[in-house]
Amino acid sequence: MSTSSLRPCGDFRTTYKQDQYLFLTRWIGWAAALGLLVLLAAPLLLDAYLISLMILIGIYGIAALGLNIVVGMTGQISLGHAAFFGFGAFASAWINGTTGIPVFLSIPLAGVLTTAVGMLFGLPAARIKGLYLAMATLAAQFILEDFFARASWFTGGSSGSLAETVNLFGFLLDTDERYYYLVLFWVIVSYIAVANLKRTRDGRALIAVRDHYLSAEIMGINLTRYRVMAFGISSFFAGLGGALFGHYLGFVSAEGFTILLSIQFLAMIIIGGLGSVPGTLLGTAFIVLLPQVMQSLTSGLIGTFPGALSGLASGQAYIKEMSIGAAIILFLIFEPDGLAHRVGQIRKSIKLYPFSY
Amino acid sequence: MGNKHIGRLAGLSILVASASMVQAQDSVFVGNLIDYTGPTAFVGKNYGPGIKDAVDWINANGGISGTQIEMEQVDYAYKVPEAIATYKRWKSRKKMVALQGWGTGDTEALISFVAKDKIPVWSASYSGHLTDPTGLNSKTEKPAPYNFFYGPSYSDACRAMVQWAADDAKAGGVESPRFVYLGDNHPYPNAPKEACSEYAAELGMDVLNPIVVPMKPGDFKAQCLTIKDSGANYAYIGNLGGSVVSLLKSCRTVGTEVKYMANIWGGDYRTIEAAEAVDYVFPSASPFWESDAPGMDRVREIHAQGSFDKSEKPTHHYIRAVCSVFYMKEAMEWAKQNGGMTGENIKQGMYAKKDWVPDGLEGVCLPSSWSETDHRGTTTVSINTGTAVDGKAVIKKIADVSLPQRDDWIGY
Repeated sequence: MSTSSLRPCGDFRTTYKQDQYLFLTRWIGWAAALGLLVLLAAPLLLDAYLISLMILIGIYGIAALGLNIVVGMTGQISLGHAAFFGFGAFASAWINGTTGIPVFLSIPLAGVLTTAVGMLFGLPAARIKGLYLAMATLAAQFILEDFFARASWFTGGSSGSLAETVNLFGFLLDTDERYYYLVLFWVIVSYIAVANLKRTRDGRALIAVRDHYLSAEIMGINLTRYRVMAFGISSFFAGLGGALFGHYLGFVSAEGFTILLSIQFLAMIIIGGLGSVPGTLLGTAFIVLLPQVMQSLTSGLIGTFPGALSGLASGQAYIKEMSIGAAIILFLIFEPDGLAHRVGQIRKSIKLYPFSY
Repeated sequence: MGNKHIGRLAGLSILVASASMVQAQDSVFVGNLIDYTGPTAFVGKNYGPGIKDAVDWINANGGISGTQIEMEQVDYAYKVPEAIATYKRWKSRKKMVALQGWGTGDTEALISFVAKDKIPVWSASYSGHLTDPTGLNSKTEKPAPYNFFYGPSYSDACRAMVQWAADDAKAGGVESPRFVYLGDNHPYPNAPKEACSEYAAELGMDVLNPIVVPMKPGDFKAQCLTIKDSGANYAYIGNLGGSVVSLLKSCRTVGTEVKYMANIWGGDYRTIEAAEAVDYVFPSASPFWESDAPGMDRVREIHAQGSFDKSEKPTHHYIRAVCSVFYMKEAMEWAKQNGGMTGENIKQGMYAKKDWVPDGLEGVCLPSSWSETDHRGTTTVSINTGTAVDGKAVIKKIADVSLPQRDDWIGY
């Protein structure tokens, strides 16, 4: 774990408050503000395709952030994240459909409902860990998947359920450009919330549980409470992301939330950086964009050399799938701390150049 | 003289260049989602090439009244988000006018997008939900005004099967035959479950509790024992490919005395041969490869000129793919003559004719009609039996069932 703060020489923090700033240096603050402006202007600059990819990155990013709390911050494992993601999607459609609560409120409410479900399935975490916990969460995945297909009153059963368009006081968020802002809002809220969580007493307790649970317990940290809490918070973000996903598509079907998606979420946080908040977004972007990039890359190559590479056309899909698998393996070997670590290294080397000591 | 020559050459090259530019512009883009590597690849590997070969043939034979179809196939491995991302790319970057789609999950997820963007879709999902364009049926959750498919819906195909089963039972002297529904607990196998069970009950059959059979191949002896214990006479299988093969093999070991009926994707010669099936009943909406129907010459020509692997004969899924493309082609031709090939006009083109068979495919595609309030193209279902004899499938047509187009069945 790299924890060096990259503060300039002589920049001392003399109070605890100063030490708790969200942005380590003024320049990081300015860069974040600039980044936010660019993101706000994105729908004016980019076409619908890129915006739709950014929406997917945002939605998955929120859910992956949840998983990073359980796996990266608390050191537990969850293989059922896609099921919680799906539960959020169905929950929001259900809340809106049965009670008439407007969609923009049913989205966070779905997160709350998913929190409850997540804590229920997180209960085994109080007693078991490691491989055993992985199996318990895997069971959650299967139980919920089956529930989606069966509980017609809640999910519409196998025919799926309809998720209304988000309506903000008569203003319909029915285009990608409009929906993008809703997703962006929740991405910013979620990421700031989790970045802050890491700096609170509870956040530090979670990290202590990860680093050494015995020491944490001796320090007076209630392991059961924090382990279940981690599942709860994690499920909230999964539910929130799922709800946004459901209303983006306008339709929720049980088919979409399989174990494969759970593994993709794990890949996102491993590639991004376990325990790193900005890294989660980097990893999500990587996983969402990789198949698209591989698709256009292979299509471009086949288009340029139609004769020599005609055999490649049939293997295009395999190349896409393989590239994701290969990326995960390569990251595990060469970049176990994820993209966030690499970005830190680059920043450090620029900062320290030419004296890299 | 030299200058004049150069001038002529320049003029000519400008002409050629501009002509080729006109030609380059004169094409429309059609996206095609396929599954060659996902859970439905068993039949996707036959359907996808059918789409491609048909489009290639159309392009080689004058296109849509001179306009070429530019098509891109993307293997999305049945991943809904990838289908959506691909759809968005086609929509904003390629100016897509129509989509040849695939699975139930992605087709249903895209319903509202295609309705908003006015892009007609011909899916390979025949889910009953897609047949109600206006929300006529109170059970329809979401009207699907831009969704089409060629063939009977899953619900109608299953209704036709139970109607056949009821007749078969009567002929065999079975009083109140027992019907059981087999399939995974997923949208695709479940799509016709209720509709079909209701009709079976209506026909006086005793509908038993459905039995869950996973979509992935495995050992299904436990399920077969349950089927045996239930005393079912007729079992409908909603799955496809390896799962059906495993189920039939397991049940033969157990020794069930049930007539197995399949979904349209669960019955083809490859499945019958792999499962060594006996009297396996399945629906179809086109003739089989060996048929001498007049339009089969066109299909064989499309196949011969196409890039599909020639070492194995195509299943009837390939032929339905050809039909799907040719209905789209003729709707596009109508659109071109009536205001241009926009998605909206192409959709109108689907309503232009009644009891309609695409030109050159007589006897291959069933006469179909679509209207602004009813997207059930056809409700006629051919019922076949398949038996593996010496490792080769012998398929016989045993009935043609024409279902009424009941209002309460639309979208259901």
